[in-house]
Amino acid sequence: MPQMDLAGQKYEVDEHGFMQETSRWTEDVARAYASLENVKELTADHWKAINYLRSYYLQNGICPMVRRLIKETGFTLKRLYDLFPNGPAQSACKWAGVPKPTGCV
Amino acid sequence: MKKRLKLTDISREEDSQLTEIVPDDLIPLPAPYDKPGWPADFQQLTADQQQRLVCNLDGFVALGLPRPRNEAEEKKYTELFISGMNKLLSRENNWTFLQPLLLSLDYCARCQTCNDACHVYVASGKNDLYRPTYRSEIFRNLVSRHARRRGKLRGIFGGKNVDLNWSTISRLYELSYRCNLCRRCAQACPMGVDNGLITREIRKLFSQELGWAPQELHEKGTVLQLKVGSPTGMSPDVLRDNVAFLDDDFSTSIGFNVSTPWDKEGADVLLIHSAGDILSFPESPAAFSILCQAAGIDWTLSSEIGGYDGVNYGLFYDDIQLARIAVRHAETARKLNVNKIVMGECGHQHKALMTVADRVLTGDLNIPRESAMTFLEDIVFSGKINFDPSKNDFPVTLHDPCNIVRNLGIVGPQRRILRYLCPQFREMMPHGVDNYCCGGGGGFSVMSGVNFTNWKVNIAGRMKFKQVLEAFSDRPGPEVKKYVCAPCLNCKLQFRDMFSYYRAGEKSGIKCGGLAELIVNAMADIKQAFISWEE
Repeated sequence: MPQMDLAGQKYEVDEHGFMQETSRWTEDVARAYASLENVKELTADHWKAINYLRSYYLQNGICPMVRRLIKETGFTLKRLYDLFPNGPAQSACKWAGVPKPTGCV
Repeated sequence: MKKRLKLTDISREEDSQLTEIVPDDLIPLPAPYDKPGWPADFQQLTADQQQRLVCNLDGFVALGLPRPRNEAEEKKYTELFISGMNKLLSRENNWTFLQPLLLSLDYCARCQTCNDACHVYVASGKNDLYRPTYRSEIFRNLVSRHARRRGKLRGIFGGKNVDLNWSTISRLYELSYRCNLCRRCAQACPMGVDNGLITREIRKLFSQELGWAPQELHEKGTVLQLKVGSPTGMSPDVLRDNVAFLDDDFSTSIGFNVSTPWDKEGADVLLIHSAGDILSFPESPAAFSILCQAAGIDWTLSSEIGGYDGVNYGLFYDDIQLARIAVRHAETARKLNVNKIVMGECGHQHKALMTVADRVLTGDLNIPRESAMTFLEDIVFSGKINFDPSKNDFPVTLHDPCNIVRNLGIVGPQRRILRYLCPQFREMMPHGVDNYCCGGGGGFSVMSGVNFTNWKVNIAGRMKFKQVLEAFSDRPGPEVKKYVCAPCLNCKLQFRDMFSYYRAGEKSGIKCGGLAELIVNAMADIKQAFISWEE
């Protein structure tokens, strides 16, 4: 299993850098991921999406539908891509410390 | 100039790649996708990955096999490979495909006619590694010496033997995931040899005997599906909550009251979607709900584990998992006492449940199964729904999912619908049973491996991407919105990955969706547009 340094700690990740130990996530981990994608600062809008994704995942065991994310946060898909350069699945889920979505998604 | 590959190269013991894929070798794409070099998103293997994982094929890694710890481990797997070959050739252990496998092993005339039928081989610039015959001939050579022991004539006339060692099996494992199992080669073969089947049986040997299978197909695929209900991880509760959300959301956005029925005993139709559609292409299940409701179909979805996700990744790599899932599908239908199961827009679901599963669905499990294509055609031409085709007045082309079209022969229904409802429908060339795979077939659209996505979009999907661009060459600019109708979730995922990789939305105005969405978009009674062009 590959490891990754994020905010001064080592974490187990998959080959695409998604955290495998969701419980070890901290806000500093999210900031560290963001800086790797050249996002220097996490704004209130970033946290709104990240916190929603994380709480939905912890409750349901998977990430929410993008359509639900859009409705719950009030952001358009374009806005989500502005906030998270590689989109809701590849950036936002990763920064929220949840595993990469599986199956036909 | 590429170096010719010999069959025996696969067993070269050093750890090096067999071949290197360079962008200049690939068939060119039309402008604006004709820039030299790899696209900006191209991902090379990192030094750390090269150190940890077996990377000895072509510079791409789908499987991430850990390096063997010692010689004993190498020997153990090599011996398992031999016992696996013997099992593949025995009636007791290969109840599914023994006869076509034997015929395909025996009857290849080595004419190489199949090579030019393969989109992977052609798109790669005719790299020997991707000939449909390269992997089959290696396997045939190994089988004849280690499993059938009938290779005396081959010993005299057949050239050099391929050594069986760790390098051979680890390369062959990765190489068995460089074929989309689309079977275009089998259709081109004058003898009827099926190299796609041989590839699939090699994957099966690795899975059932060595325990080697892609994580996305096995642990996070069939295993998760049997445990939770879906490889997406969607449990029955989350499923119902999601569909209720979609019913509500679409009812509001299009002004048509959508209501999806659940677990209705004695319904005429049990519809089994690919559950990934609910998460990633929710317009598709919503469109089915609207159409069934508008046409007055007596139908239901199931919220039982085994009844709401039609995918069956076992088709791609493992007979045992294939059978377990197919039986769960049929048991759900039997329990609900429905008259038939209708497949969602999912190609491999069609092939797995409608044909291959025939062998396990005996007695009262043998419930009639119907394709979404004929089901939708009946709805469209039932006279129960009013259509206004001018609502679909944008360029539309149709992608033929290999499993529905070439492999099951369902060619006409989807075309009759599009000719009726889409004034600017145009075919790709070639199409129908001669289509090219999207590049996501054989399980690839759910596999992102280590840097495998790069291979899928640059090589496996290249021919299809070229075809799509050519089908729209009369209206190339992004200002004209264009729709690739792909009635298969796996194909849609591959198109989504390709279009996003090549930025085809912003550069060419192309999007991809299913068939049911186009039908709903043309309904005269729905005032708001159903298909959204927002990226």
